[in-house]
Order: sequence, then structure tokens, then C-alpha cells
Amino acid sequence: MALRSINFPGIGTKYELVTEKDDTIAIFFLKNGNIQMYTLPHDGQTPCVAELTTAEARRLGTIMTGAIMEADKESVEIAFSALSDLRISIHTYVIGKSMAGRCIEDHQIRAKTGVTIIAVSRGDTNIVNPPPSFMFQEGDAVVAIGETDQLKTFEREFMVG
Amino acid sequence: MEGLIIALFVCLVLLIITKYLSWPVIPFYIIAGIALGASGLNLVQVSESSTFFSELGLIFLLFFMGLEIKPDRILSNQKTFFSSGLIDLNINMLIGFLAAYIIGFTLTESLVIAAAFFISSTAMTVASLVENKKLMMREAETIVWMMVFEDIVLIIFLTLLSTSINNPLGFIGKIAVILLAFYIISHYGKKLIQKAINRDDELPVFLTFAAVVIIAFGSKAIGVPETLMVIAFGTALASTDPAAFEAQARPFKDVFLIIFFVFFGISVDFSGGVPVMLIVALSILAIISKLVSGLLIGKVVHGSKGSGIEIWVNTIGRGEFSIALAALYGSPVVSSAIAAMVIITSIVGSFSAKYSGPLQDLFTRGRKGDPDQVPAGSGETIS
Repeated sequence: MALRSINFPGIGTKYELVTEKDDTIAIFFLKNGNIQMYTLPHDGQTPCVAELTTAEARRLGTIMTGAIMEADKESVEIAFSALSDLRISIHTYVIGKSMAGRCIEDHQIRAKTGVTIIAVSRGDTNIVNPPPSFMFQEGDAVVAIGETDQLKTFEREFMVG
Repeated sequence: MEGLIIALFVCLVLLIITKYLSWPVIPFYIIAGIALGASGLNLVQVSESSTFFSELGLIFLLFFMGLEIKPDRILSNQKTFFSSGLIDLNINMLIGFLAAYIIGFTLTESLVIAAAFFISSTAMTVASLVENKKLMMREAETIVWMMVFEDIVLIIFLTLLSTSINNPLGFIGKIAVILLAFYIISHYGKKLIQKAINRDDELPVFLTFAAVVIIAFGSKAIGVPETLMVIAFGTALASTDPAAFEAQARPFKDVFLIIFFVFFGISVDFSGGVPVMLIVALSILAIISKLVSGLLIGKVVHGSKGSGIEIWVNTIGRGEFSIALAALYGSPVVSSAIAAMVIITSIVGSFSAKYSGPLQDLFTRGRKGDPDQVPAGSGETIS
């Protein structure tokens, strides 16, 4: 795997990677902030191109590192080593039929499981720190925070069935 | 002032339309200028304020160019840099100069035309490589370094043209003092400059604007060419934080350069004497001459004719620097010739860059077995 970076005056920086199978990937960080990614198969002549915004590139990068398995099962665990190894997990879920139509308070989520819903993503809008009266709709993606065990309970209580 | 309003409005409309169609916008500013100005409807005249804005456009363009010049990077790319650059320079300068001289321009005029004939538009080339997604081609690297070479030739050219004055000793002395000052400021004040330009209040933007304008008009006041000083200032700052300066200077460059282009068009006067047919012929020659140099560079640098075609289609367009030369040193006749050349080459260039695949087919067709032959689309990149 050979990686080299080249400066293109007036355009930006190019990173070029030749994979073990001899395919070539070239990534250009353009001056306008966008990123162009070219891939060229070892037996091909014409490269394929995708142009990404910074946000899209970051997302792609996260996927490449293996952090995201499935869109509705994205999860991160944070450990604070200074606070006697406090571990907090953040997990995303998609609201199904059984939870839709009622609010956070009705479900008694925190009382039953200890998990807190800290954000909801609905269509193109994000709601951070939704109030207890927040009404779920089917298809909402929610971000839940808690300990791993609490999240497991949450999955058992609300996500199954 | 009404003139400026009309010009700005027309530019705004043009900018929206051309961006939507992803066409090059520079030739349309000039065409619009010609239509509005002396050669056309005579709706807009050059005024004191338009001249001032145009001047700002020019100095910010040159400052920007200076920021891009980083000597250490050039030295690490010597071989391709010099072979492609020198072929480009020799062929195009020579053809441009001879053609202009034969048409009947004087020696100095021919020299200015030759320089404008030689220098491709960096803005258009970069935009064409990015928009047509051609950055991965191996020719892309050659092309961007050719643009840097052309910039350096332009600087040498500006130096030669501006030193023909009376008191050379005092002149060189003044320049030396200013350059030394730039060096001291950027070398010893590096930390301070980096800190100032990265603040998030209004200091960075005003620092950039004021420094460039003070240096430009200050140089002019003491009789030193402002063009060179602004480039030198940019190059000096390139060792501090060029990206931050570029970000601050970009809005000024973008805005004032549009005014510069449109008012250049407005000032162009086609009643100057050289027949239009000859000017058109010169423009077509400008396209052919880049084909010759492109093919030769493709052959020498990449060993392939297809590469030459690719280099050619991306470097046909003449633009901002040719106009700058015309505005700085051109007589009315020279300016009109250069205006026509920019319009024709940039429009042809933008379309040929978009359709380089079919063009390559055309040039390599019926020559199967030719080792030069490269497939259309020319993805033959990186080894």
C-alpha cells in the first residue's frame, strides 16, 4: 500500500493510494473545501469520480473505519478514564409502530430503563434534548444515552415486539 | 455612477447564467463590456470610480498569484516543470510574436501581444480540470505546473517592461529596499502575522485589504511598478500563512476582478485600424499554436500524443493575465486584439475541455497500431 501526497498549486492537495490489488484511489482536497475522490481499477482506463462535501467525506471516513455497522445500530462508547473509568454508551434506534403516537413521558423510558433520549432525527430536522412531552412518530431516529446494561434493557423493553 | 450600476447588474445576470450552465464567465464579461461600451451601445463610460475598482481587481489578482508561488515546491518538480514550461514558452511566444509583427504591429506591441498569446488562463484551466473531473489524469499535474511556469514568465515580463525608465539606479535601489522590507516583515514578523491573520474579528480582512492597497498605491506614488510589488508581497507572505491570506483576499479579488473585466471590455475600441479578420485569424492561430506546444509537451513529458491533446484542450483559454497585460501595456489596438483573442480562445477552450474524449478520437482515429494511441476519456493515468 503506497500512499503519497502531492501539492497541486491552485487546486489543492492530492493523496494517492495504490492498493494491494493494484487499484488506485486518488483523493483531492480542493481549495473550495470540497473533496473529489477518483477510483481506478487496475485493469481499467477510465476512473470513476465522486465529489463530496466536507461533511459527506467525514461520514464516508467514519464508515470506512468500521464504526458504523448499520444505520439504525450506530453506537459509540465513551470512556472517561479520569472519572474512575466512567463508561457511557450512545446508541441510535429507529422508532417502530409500537412506540409511535405516544410521548417520552408516556413510555416512562427513564424510569423503566435509566436511558435518556437526547436527540431525535425526523426527516431533515434534528431535535436535541426533546422535552418529555415529545411525541414519537414511526421512523424517527432517536439517540439514546446510558450505560451498556441500561441500553440493553431499553432494547428489551421497547425495541422488541 | 449610473454606468457602474448598469455594468454591475449585467455582470450579476451573466454570472448567474454562466454558473448555471457551467460555462466560463470571463469572455462574457468582456463581451458584455464591449456591448455596453465605446464599441457597442455606448451606455457606459469608463469613470474615475470604475478605474479605481478595476485597479483593485488587478492588484488583488496579482497578489493572489504571488501567494501561490512557493519556490521550494517548484524546485522539487524541476524536470517536468522546465521541459513543459520551456516548450510552452518558446513555441507560443515565437508564433505569437511573429504573427503580430507580420500583421503590422510595432515591435513593442508585438511583444505585449506575444506575451498575452502565450499565457493561458490559470482560472479557466483550474476550473476546467476540477469541473470536468480530470484531476486524476497524469496530464493534470503537468498542466498545473505549466500554469505556475507561465506565472513566473509573466513576472519576468512585467519586470522587463517596467524597468525601461530614466533613473535605473534609483529605481533598482527603491525596489531593493522594499523587497528587503518584505523579507524582514515576513521573516521576523512571521509569528505575529500568523496570529493576526487567524483572528476571528475584522482584523484579518482589513489587514489584507489595507496592506495590499497601501503597497500597491504606495509603490505607484514613489514610482515603483505596483504590479511587481504586489506579487512580491504575496510571495513574501506565502511563507507565513498563505491559505489564510487567500481566504481573506478572495472576496476582494472575485468582486473587483469582475469589474476589471467588464470595464476592460467597455474601454476596448475596435475602430483602431487592424481589420477584424486579421484579429480573428490571430485568435485562431492562438488555438493552433497551443495545439503544437501541447502535442510536443505530451510527447516529451508523457510520450503520448493523447496526452498532448489533453494538455491542449485544457490550456487553450487565455484570460485574466492576457487582459491584465493589455490593460497595463496595450495601446487601444493591442487591447482590442487581445480582447478578441481572449473571447475566442476561452469559449473554444471551455467546450473543447468538456468534449476532449471525442476530440482525442478524432485525432487518433484510423491510426490503429500507433503506439501513441490512447483510449478516449484518457484515464491512462498514474503508473
